[in-house]
Amino acid sequence: MPIVFVSGVPFGGGERLAKELARKLGYAFLDREEVVARANESGIPVGKLEVALVKKPAVQERMVRLRDRYLAVATATICEKAAAGNLVYYGRAGHHLLPGVGHVLRVRVVPEPARRLETVMERLRLPREKAEKFIRDVDEDIRAWVRFVHDVDMEDLQKYDLVVNLEKLSLENAAAALCSIAELPDFRPTPASQAAMQERLLRARARIRLALDERTADADLTVRSSEGVLTITYVPRQAQLAPLIPDVLGDLPGCREIRCTMASTNILWIQEAFRPDSGTYREVNELARRWGAAVELLQYRAGGEEGEAVPVEVAPAAALKAGTGGVEDDLPEAAAGGADSSFERTLEALVQEGRSGGGHTVAGGRDRLVGAISRSVPYSLVVVDNLFLDKAPAARTRMTRELAMFLTDYVKAPILSTADLSSKLHLGRGEVLKAAAAGVLVVLLYCAIFLRQEGLLSVLGGEAHKAAPWVASVLVALLAPVVSVLYGNLLASAMKWLKMD
Amino acid sequence: MPMLLGDLFIHLTWANALALVLLGLVGGVISGFAGSGAAFIMTPGMMNLRVPGVVAVGSNMAHRFGNNMMGAKRHAGLGNVDKRLSILLLVTAVIGVQIAVWINSTLFKMGGGEGNEGGGGAMSNLYISLIFIGVLTFVGAFMLRDAVRPRDSKEGSGPSMKLANMLSRLPLPPYIHFPVADVRISLWLVLLLGLVVGFLDGTVAIGGFLGVPAMIYLFGVPTTVATGSELFMAMFGGAWGAISYAYQGFVDLRLSCLLLLGSLMGVYIGAYGTKVVKEVLVRLVASSIILLCVVSRAVAVPVYLRQLNFLHFSEGWEPWLKGASTAILFAAGVGGAGLVLFYVVKATLERRKVHATLLIRKPEAEGAGG
Repeated sequence: MPIVFVSGVPFGGGERLAKELARKLGYAFLDREEVVARANESGIPVGKLEVALVKKPAVQERMVRLRDRYLAVATATICEKAAAGNLVYYGRAGHHLLPGVGHVLRVRVVPEPARRLETVMERLRLPREKAEKFIRDVDEDIRAWVRFVHDVDMEDLQKYDLVVNLEKLSLENAAAALCSIAELPDFRPTPASQAAMQERLLRARARIRLALDERTADADLTVRSSEGVLTITYVPRQAQLAPLIPDVLGDLPGCREIRCTMASTNILWIQEAFRPDSGTYREVNELARRWGAAVELLQYRAGGEEGEAVPVEVAPAAALKAGTGGVEDDLPEAAAGGADSSFERTLEALVQEGRSGGGHTVAGGRDRLVGAISRSVPYSLVVVDNLFLDKAPAARTRMTRELAMFLTDYVKAPILSTADLSSKLHLGRGEVLKAAAAGVLVVLLYCAIFLRQEGLLSVLGGEAHKAAPWVASVLVALLAPVVSVLYGNLLASAMKWLKMD
Repeated sequence: MPMLLGDLFIHLTWANALALVLLGLVGGVISGFAGSGAAFIMTPGMMNLRVPGVVAVGSNMAHRFGNNMMGAKRHAGLGNVDKRLSILLLVTAVIGVQIAVWINSTLFKMGGGEGNEGGGGAMSNLYISLIFIGVLTFVGAFMLRDAVRPRDSKEGSGPSMKLANMLSRLPLPPYIHFPVADVRISLWLVLLLGLVVGFLDGTVAIGGFLGVPAMIYLFGVPTTVATGSELFMAMFGGAWGAISYAYQGFVDLRLSCLLLLGSLMGVYIGAYGTKVVKEVLVRLVASSIILLCVVSRAVAVPVYLRQLNFLHFSEGWEPWLKGASTAILFAAGVGGAGLVLFYVVKATLERRKVHATLLIRKPEAEGAGG
């Protein structure tokens, strides 16, 4: 049965509906208060974080770190409770904690405004005006919180499976309707969706462990997981942490392997098929070497919306088959026969190079792809290519370009194709010619400046300047940026040639 | 050493040309490392090489003109520029620059002293040095305090946000939301910062150096966005300042070109250094260099006071004071840049040792469950 996420606003009837639904279905009930209590026990001052966010909306490094820890605690609490049985969760857009997990029913409760106002006036003993202001303020605070924590607009109804408007519908009837919907096959767990939830749980537990251990509490670590393999990346200045991380995470349930990679930054590489002997691999690896970056592989197979974010060994092709409700065919590849060995070999090659940032597979629509890209990982570059392999080359190029443009709304890092990557890495003939021309011009300009000092100084501050001071302004406005740009380009090309850019 | 065109431009020799390239390199390394302009070392460094203060400021602004363009372009490509913030800052920054250029030019024309360090513009040199000492003592001390103070382990090692939180509570409408920086700031505070940054940029060419930490500490702007937005603003504000100084006859393009030779290369090295050195150490090194630059300038102040007959002491002391000022400044710059280079080389060597990801495989039985 699914995990039912009910999202609502205070005094709007959502909590009562969620409790009624849990009672009718016989599910366990969990609400945000319990998650916040556990977060506070873990040393995350959620109240302070909320106040700081409302008073000062600037996203600070410390707040982001606390946010990531809070998300880990919330994810772990929900997954642990859901693993023990069925669950109804009431909170603020909590379903965003489990992107890629299919057996989730996302419900938004819209309150009846007049009844909500009366409830606030009665319970908080407030006059009408103050109650109205209270509702406006609290709704705005919640929207800001959801935006900060999940980076989504809580009011975006496309993010829900169902919207329940309590204006006409009674709580009991709404709960009864939800009971029927919750039992539909569309929301049933599949092996793949359960595996995805286990991954979320493992990642969350790892984050909590690292946050609570005093040796790693202050470190800037990136945590990824795939099929029980935890990949932790740390920045070079924290190299001393590498041997400590396995100590901290050693006995974590569900973890079968730990990989620690030193990286200054991260490159996300999205393709449908990976090969460790391909030219693209060499170029991505070369760039990663220059930047000191970890490379994260994301195998994406575009399709309908039936796919799941699945771990490495899971066959996304199975998940792609349409028309089955995403149940029968949504099986791990182990059951369907044979893993994607070239993907694994690519990942293994990166491990051997010391640049693995982990890898995972996702299949389905664009939302699935976006859901699989971690918001907490600071990417410097996204390489997108070799997708839509079942299409004709022209359509493949167009669709890949469209997908890259779509991703620019979600990923702040530049998005490049392999062709762009190649031009970024290697000095082409045109670039060499440009650099040579820039070099010649720089030499000529410097010669002109230093071999004709008297004339120049006269224009800048001597007799010529007295006659026409504006000439000096024009000279500076033209020469200063020209010399800088020419010399800068020459230097950039030289650094690229030396592989030091 | 003879001066050209009266007391305005220095006579270039191989030695002082090389010293200027070295000054540019040191400044570039520190600039790339600290993520801000390095006029705090370049301006006094040039003054120590007998360049009049006002020409040092003007030439430095011209040198930074192109640098800012390149930096702004790079940051814009990375999405680090909040154009709304930059444009609002620029509105008052241009006014600030113009005020500073007028004051500096007027003081230089008042003269004072003769033929010593900085030529005859002792009044202008004194004014620039005092502004320099006042502002950078405050900034350097603040950064040093922030770098060395003990921190709550849960607080992380990011910059302190106390001032930003305090300012955000002040009721100063209208507030403007800046989408890239993702902050809401009072318009008045932004305009005031623009004016101050512009004035300091025009006076000592250290506007950016103050603007970036101010945006981080006072407004809570993320560090990368603060740097990118300041560079974008400085691209126009600095250009305006350079053109204004050139109109007044206080830009020596030869010096700008020599500084540029070293500084662009230094920026590459310094920027790499930030990847391999702890942020707290970056702030510690940067603040120490700033404070040593302040000491260096303070040592030179009695020379200007004597040239203006405000202070009386034996002329024999002047070479010693000027020598000490130069030595402190170059020791700070070369020491700081050397430290960055040391870390860069060390990190490169260490990185070569890491050939594979540390891999810990657990027995299959332990992997189950969860």
